[in-house]
Amino acid sequence: MYQTFLSFRYLRARPISWIGVAGIFVAVSALILILSIMSGFLAETRNHLRGSLSDLLIQPHLDRVLMHEGQSVLPKRDSAGILEAVLEDPLVAGASAHYTWYGMLAAAGRERMLSDVNHGDLALVKLVGIDASEEYSVSNLEEDLKRVSLISDERVADPSDPFGPIPGYEPDGRPLDPILVGEQLARFWGLRRGRTLELVTAVLDPKTGNAQEAVSRSFVVAGTFRSKNNDFDMSTLYLPRSVMAEWFGAGREFTDVAVKLKDYKGTKAAAQASLAVRLHELGYLHDPEVTGGMEIRPWEDFQRSMLAAIENEKGLLGIMLSLVLLVAAFSVFAILSMLVQEKRRDIGILCALGASQWGVMGTFLMIGLWEALLGTLLGLGAGIWATLNINAIEQALSNTFGFQIFNREAYAFDHIPTVIEGGGIAAIVLGAFTASLLAAALPAWRAARLNPVEGLRHE
Amino acid sequence: MSESTTPILSVRGVRRSFQAGERKLEVLHGVNLDLAAHGRLCLMGSSGAGKTTLLNIIGLLDRPDEGEVMLQGQDAWSLPNSSRAGLRNRILGFVFQFYHLLPELDALENTTLPARLAGARGTRLREYRSKAKSSLEAFGLGQRLHHRPGKLSGGEQQRVAIARALLMEPQLLIADEPTGNLDRATGDRVLDLLFEEQQRRGFALLLVTHDQRLAKRCERIVHMEDGQIQADSTTPIPH
Ligand SMILES: Nc1ncnc2c1ncn2[C@@H]1O[C@H](COP(=O)(O)OP(=O)(O)OP(=O)(O)O)[C@@H](O)[C@H]1O
Ligand SMILES: [Mg+2]
Repeated sequence: MYQTFLSFRYLRARPISWIGVAGIFVAVSALILILSIMSGFLAETRNHLRGSLSDLLIQPHLDRVLMHEGQSVLPKRDSAGILEAVLEDPLVAGASAHYTWYGMLAAAGRERMLSDVNHGDLALVKLVGIDASEEYSVSNLEEDLKRVSLISDERVADPSDPFGPIPGYEPDGRPLDPILVGEQLARFWGLRRGRTLELVTAVLDPKTGNAQEAVSRSFVVAGTFRSKNNDFDMSTLYLPRSVMAEWFGAGREFTDVAVKLKDYKGTKAAAQASLAVRLHELGYLHDPEVTGGMEIRPWEDFQRSMLAAIENEKGLLGIMLSLVLLVAAFSVFAILSMLVQEKRRDIGILCALGASQWGVMGTFLMIGLWEALLGTLLGLGAGIWATLNINAIEQALSNTFGFQIFNREAYAFDHIPTVIEGGGIAAIVLGAFTASLLAAALPAWRAARLNPVEGLRHE
Repeated sequence: MSESTTPILSVRGVRRSFQAGERKLEVLHGVNLDLAAHGRLCLMGSSGAGKTTLLNIIGLLDRPDEGEVMLQGQDAWSLPNSSRAGLRNRILGFVFQFYHLLPELDALENTTLPARLAGARGTRLREYRSKAKSSLEAFGLGQRLHHRPGKLSGGEQQRVAIARALLMEPQLLIADEPTGNLDRATGDRVLDLLFEEQQRRGFALLLVTHDQRLAKRCERIVHMEDGQIQADSTTPIPH
């Protein structure tokens, strides 16, 4: 095709055309790199936000009457039955029953609490009663217990039995119940393994729901855990579920069940639905038609606003970066317009020799096509290469300029996280390609509309 | 070569005006002109008479306001755009005062360009290439095949332009002051070449010139003044 032939000749003869290619190249590679880094941050932050949350959390309304086998009764409250039912579901990989309650942590005795509320050693904490081996099957607790400690090593003696004997703890009388403390909390309070701490809380009347009385109880620290979520580590305590059930009783063995799925992304909704139906049949949950399935929720529900904020940032950044693309497309437009203006005589000659208007348009469109193709392909390659090597690049740049570009302290990561997102990259490449082609179409169309006689008049 | 055969070109009542600011400038007021196949017609007239305007209309580059241009008996301006592009490619050949070669292509590529525009590829294109090459060689440009126009003299460029105009074996060659930009000796050589090719190939030639000497070598001289044909004289071609 002569359009191809001529477009190559024009490209070869006009080095300025490469500015268009360079513009697209820079835009595409930068967009890909930034998208990958943003996605990496998002994924990493999701991990952090998730901390030790499992995939799904079942939280039955234990005090609301439901219909079971034709009778109005309270939901069943035994943990063994609900765990068995949940584990029966083929989509489920693991389940762990929790007994969750809130309390106040008082490290240095009650008198201080009363005398100085603001500066007393007091914290609101979440008490989670677990069975260690069950919990290991749904969350990262086992890893969190083994993770290198930031304070002097206060890890549990035996991660396979975290509530087991505590080395160096020699109680005077009856041994206290063991408790696992989040690393941040332990650091803040100076809680060492083998030290005692006191929890203050209130027990509710199972019938009326009124607070009966404040109770307090002492525990011995069995060790610390370090999830990746600092807030979580600052506010969570694990203790044996049996201790919680015995302490708060109220006829229930659990308050919620954490569920791990085999394929969270793929079967989240399906698992949620099938569990809701099954557990309702068995009398553990209310009719999902009535509750809207709200008794079973995915973990994101508990971090919704944070996740939405990051997602939103990603979208905003995408919009701003699309402006780069606009600039690239504009450079294609400007350069091609110049070329058309400059080649008015050639256009006249081509017409005289028998080119049709479409042929002329095709010639100039083809120039835009090569620029778009070359720019996006080079940009794609460079963007992916830079993404894969971003940490080495950052290191090299940091060494050259003598300061750390990626501040590892400001973020909680020791590397720049990236995720190659196929869909997003395809959208960038396609977007850049079509934008450049559209930008080329206008001058090409103008070339076709030029009056050949005008072009031929002068030398 | 009798005058009774259908003319290759027949112009009927062609009018063309241009908008010059407020005023409408009528450049051609009803031009009639016939040119027989194989004929050689010289169009003369003072500057601004409308010769180039008429040639552009005959060459299917500029649409007349009124009138017809019959090429091989068909009204070319009533055809669709693409057919007219085809006629320019196959029936017509152009030689311009300013040569009008594409600066990015070398002599051989410029000469072969009409074949590319006709969609020739592969072997057909190679055939045209060798044809273009032999005519460039015949025009004394054997050593200049791969020179860009910028590296060629005016006479050389015009010879490349003639080779290009003849590549598709046109029926009608339109030449607007082909020697207007050349010195006399070079111009004469270019014209000799053009006339020789006409003798050999037998296309019709429509030539615009201000040069009386040149006009004498045409069998027909048409004078144009103020957008109208003034005089039409037929003389035997002196050799
Ligand atoms: N596009 C146009 N717009 C306005 N006026 C035009 C246009 N083209 C030609 N003219 C006018 O038409 C008249 C005839 O022009 P044309 O180029 O046909 O003359 P010509 O006979 O070829 O002259 P020359 O011998 O100098 O080449 C001139 O007065 C010119 O100014
Ligand atoms: Mg003229």
